[in-house]
Amino acid sequence: MRRIFQIDGEETECWLSHDGNELIVNTPDGAIPCQLDPTGTPGGHVLRVRGRAQELRLAVGPDATFVHLNGQTYAIGRVDPAERLAGNDGGAADDRIVAPMPGVVVSVNAKPGDQVKEGQPLLVIESMKLETSLIAPRDGVVAEIPFAAGDSFGLKATLAQLAPEED
Amino acid sequence: MRRIESQIDTNAPDFKANHAAMSERLKEFHAHQHAARFERPQRDIDRLARQNKLGVRERLKLLLDPGTPFLEFSTLAACREYDGTVPGAAVVTGIGIVQGREVAIHANDASVKGGAWYPHTVKKIVRLLDVALENRLPVIHICDSAGGFLPLQHGVFPDRYLGGRVFRNQVKLSQANIPQVAIVGGHCTAGGAYVPTLSDYNIIIEGTGAIFLGGPPLVKAATGEEVGVQELGGAVMHTSVSGTGDYRAATEQHAFSLAREIVSQWKRTPKTIIETASFEEPYYDPKELYGIIPKDRKTQFDMREVLARIVDGSRFHEYQPEYGTTMVCGFAHIWGYKVGILANNGVLFNDSSLKAAHFMQLCNQNRTPLVFLQNITGYMVGREYEERGIAKDGAKMLMAQGGSVVPKFTVIANASYGAGNYGMCGRAWDARTLFMWPQAEIGVMGADQAANTMADVKIRQLEREGKELSEEEIAAIRDPVLEKFRRDVEAYTSTSELWDDGLLDPADTRNALGMSISASLNAPIDDPHYGIFRL
Amino acid sequence: MNISKLLVANRGEIAARVLRTAKARGLATAVLRHASEQEGPAHRIADEVVTIEGPTPVAAYLDIPQIVEVAKRIGADAVHPGYGFLSENANFVAALEKADVTFVGPTSEVIDLMGDKVRARAFVEERGFPVAPSAIEDDDPATFVERSRAVGYPLLIKPSAGGGGKGMRVVRADSTLETEIETARREGERYFGDGRLFVERYIERPRHIEVQVMGDGQGNVVHFWERECSIQRRFQKIIEETPSPALSPQQRLDICETAAGIARAVNYRGAGTVEFIYAQAGAFYFLEMNTRLQVEHPVTEMVTGFDLVAEQLRVAAGEGLSAAQADIPQNGHSIELRICAEDATEDFRPAIGDILLLDEPEGEGVRVDSGILGGGKVTTDFDPMLSKLIVHAEDRAQAIARARQAVQNYVILGVTTNTGYLDAILTHPDFASGDVSTGFLAEQADTLTAPGEDISDLLMAAAALSDERLVSDVMQIPEMHRKMGGWRN
Repeated sequence: MRRIFQIDGEETECWLSHDGNELIVNTPDGAIPCQLDPTGTPGGHVLRVRGRAQELRLAVGPDATFVHLNGQTYAIGRVDPAERLAGNDGGAADDRIVAPMPGVVVSVNAKPGDQVKEGQPLLVIESMKLETSLIAPRDGVVAEIPFAAGDSFGLKATLAQLAPEED
Repeated sequence: MRRIESQIDTNAPDFKANHAAMSERLKEFHAHQHAARFERPQRDIDRLARQNKLGVRERLKLLLDPGTPFLEFSTLAACREYDGTVPGAAVVTGIGIVQGREVAIHANDASVKGGAWYPHTVKKIVRLLDVALENRLPVIHICDSAGGFLPLQHGVFPDRYLGGRVFRNQVKLSQANIPQVAIVGGHCTAGGAYVPTLSDYNIIIEGTGAIFLGGPPLVKAATGEEVGVQELGGAVMHTSVSGTGDYRAATEQHAFSLAREIVSQWKRTPKTIIETASFEEPYYDPKELYGIIPKDRKTQFDMREVLARIVDGSRFHEYQPEYGTTMVCGFAHIWGYKVGILANNGVLFNDSSLKAAHFMQLCNQNRTPLVFLQNITGYMVGREYEERGIAKDGAKMLMAQGGSVVPKFTVIANASYGAGNYGMCGRAWDARTLFMWPQAEIGVMGADQAANTMADVKIRQLEREGKELSEEEIAAIRDPVLEKFRRDVEAYTSTSELWDDGLLDPADTRNALGMSISASLNAPIDDPHYGIFRL
Repeated sequence: MNISKLLVANRGEIAARVLRTAKARGLATAVLRHASEQEGPAHRIADEVVTIEGPTPVAAYLDIPQIVEVAKRIGADAVHPGYGFLSENANFVAALEKADVTFVGPTSEVIDLMGDKVRARAFVEERGFPVAPSAIEDDDPATFVERSRAVGYPLLIKPSAGGGGKGMRVVRADSTLETEIETARREGERYFGDGRLFVERYIERPRHIEVQVMGDGQGNVVHFWERECSIQRRFQKIIEETPSPALSPQQRLDICETAAGIARAVNYRGAGTVEFIYAQAGAFYFLEMNTRLQVEHPVTEMVTGFDLVAEQLRVAAGEGLSAAQADIPQNGHSIELRICAEDATEDFRPAIGDILLLDEPEGEGVRVDSGILGGGKVTTDFDPMLSKLIVHAEDRAQAIARARQAVQNYVILGVTTNTGYLDAILTHPDFASGDVSTGFLAEQADTLTAPGEDISDLLMAAAALSDERLVSDVMQIPEMHRKMGGWRN
């Protein structure tokens, strides 16, 4: 896999390879053969790069790696490019709440024009002897809820619609 | 194993002349490969950008583990077809590493005719899936194809090894418990729809990927229904309504990271164990091969010098070194894998054929994969040899070779003529991979003999009609035939027609073999068994 | 009155610091903790940790009835307020007095007086102590120009309603005074809709010098010498030291005696600090008095050898001061660095994170008053100061060297801190020569946050090799393929 490392606001894509003897850190700028060995003190390591050995302290956080080296502390942001991309998901498809099966509306908890939060229940339906709460798929404004309590609806009926998001 | 003592003098004029000639050829070869891989008309590049799609090479980069090798097959497929307008036959295939696993990759190249399937495209995909089946390699399909190239539909569709074979092979892979994942990064229309749907997993890229049996224009023509691409077969519809698609990816990058994640879920099956040793680079520089291959094909050279620049430590245990000396047999390691090597040092005689047959039986018994290094002009002809039963001995060699259960690998290093091609595991004989060096030739016989034979027939016919031919008239008959034959036997013709898995820079032979052998060990090795040897 | 059980109504490093002394004096101890608060060193030192509630953690620490109730409930006979929170809240002191709990600090009257900047200034000025000359237009608009002239030059005109530097004008010559007043008035009207003005002496490159005082409430007041606190960012101190490199021995005596005099004038009880603004020419003016223990009190302790918290507790217990003025030395030099969770390159934006690794410096002349523990979390619930690093050495140069050594060895990983920035300040030649003012950090901002040597390749290597997924991904590649690398045929 590849990582994006952020140092001082600059992003560099990086991956590791191994030449059979030692690991090689690859960046678009080149390859750095190197070695990192623990020293025994908490977080203590010796980093060997290009024949130079550097003592450092290191801690790996959830999104960043922290390094204390030569009296200075550095934070190196770590991004999985894939996760970043997955985050861009979503879109227009989420604006409509479609009936997963035919049923009857039990209650309506919002009306057109209401500002709703993601996860907020919009209406409760009953089908197949089960009550299901249908929730807002994102923050937004309710555009339409065409059914009232007691109404029955068919499969794939639009039960609620959010107003399109403005960019 | 003892190191081969090279007799090559790298300062000798011959060596230098050979080296210069080979370097020239390789320059040309690498330029061809580069063009086939990367050079496209600007309008095609612009079209991809407009469609918000990445090129196939960028897609491979996203898919493969960084810093790992990729053994690409048949880069120059179709290079002598369709006026050279379908580089790589519009598809990239090869063996690469994804999440530490060896996988076979089939990726449409939408920068060539929208990734349309030409006859050679189909041949290349079917070959890749054969490789996957033989070696039990999981397959990753990167689908982005306009569909079959209709003007040539007869070369794409009906026959046993054409379009249907792609899907048949997918079914066989699945049946054999070999996983497949498809990334739909473009349209998969009609038959193309079955590539992702026959895969165990598929991922559709939102916006660009779509799967349907008939696209919107066809639907309109057939039923009058007007429907857009996304509603008809887009990522959202297929992943949430039809269940045809498994995963919806927001972007190309997302799709390939999903694919990598899927691959990382797959069970790792233990590989077949053969004898191995620790790696050792060849003692002699592989680049010296350039000076060893004579610039004139008719010049004989010692295949041991070639072996010394391919095998681990240049070490070679030669079998029967004093007997049947035109056939060099012995054991060596390539990337640590123990292999049995058969290499030609001249024409095959009775003794060399028997030696080869015996050696192959030894290797089968020991589960030692076989590597064939071809430089073969054929089996010896003539009364004496027929009397000694050269055809019978040749048949024994074929029986042993064709009946081998161990994986076989062939490199056509120079000449591959006549039945020698068969004995030395030519294309018809199920080598797991078969590569060819760019200066090598392949044919029933050498171009000169073939041309002369055909010219002689014509000349004799004219003589019977009482015509006396001048030197010029003979040349006028022979030269065009010779020219055609010379072209037909060239490696470029072979690789254009997919008679091989690609041309190789000789210095890359070691890695190509290493990758091939490693891949082959994903499949089990059967117990040795043979047909009937004509004794 | 006898004190046997002390409640520390504070948190973080100061709670820990107070508790240490209290325990050393044999007191039973208790400290507060909000439910959402991370465990800190104080919670490990105190005999008792009392959970307090509130909509936010800060609100809980400001909740007078709740804290007084806690003190009563656990039987604490005294409360030490630390600094911040309720330490200068007269209502709190009054509530404790009513509940018959001793407040470790001055009386509510003194807190009240000193807490009102205008009243305090008038009080001090009336008693003949120096305050910066000024004139308020509203006092008598007719004589404003005359009174402004009397302030002396250079002077600063400010809109009464102003803020943020808008409409402020510096006047250096009498000839331009009236036109500048008119300009400032127009600007004030334009920006704030209010043209009333205020004039004060403009002090160029001022220094912040303060004096630690201690009184027994019986008329005895001593000073514990001065502290120089000119190194400030966003009006908050981050490096303090003593002695001040700016003062001659005579000036030192003058300023310290002035401070003691002010404390005496209010019959001060407990620890307090008189802050002065110090002009480069040597004049100093009363700024304000803080009626509590200061964050930077440790530098004073280092050079005097006194435990100021112990002195506070003695006074609160009615035991009086342990020393007369003549017994209070000023030995060597001490510097304090405030270690804060903040990003100096992003305008000191507070940083949050988990403290993944904590290794505090130690050694001769090194003291760390820490409010954090390894494994804890830094949130924005409280002030970003995590701890204080205090060093002591024979002279200033050695103290700076020791401070640099110590701050470089201060390992806090997991949250961005200002250790590198503090080191950059210590390294600056103007700091070394003592030529600083309260504007120093702003003036030198670019120098102090300039990126150091580019070692991004080392950092990348360290981050990549410690990235388990990257390493395991590469190690699962078969050995041969790994060794072939990115080969292509």
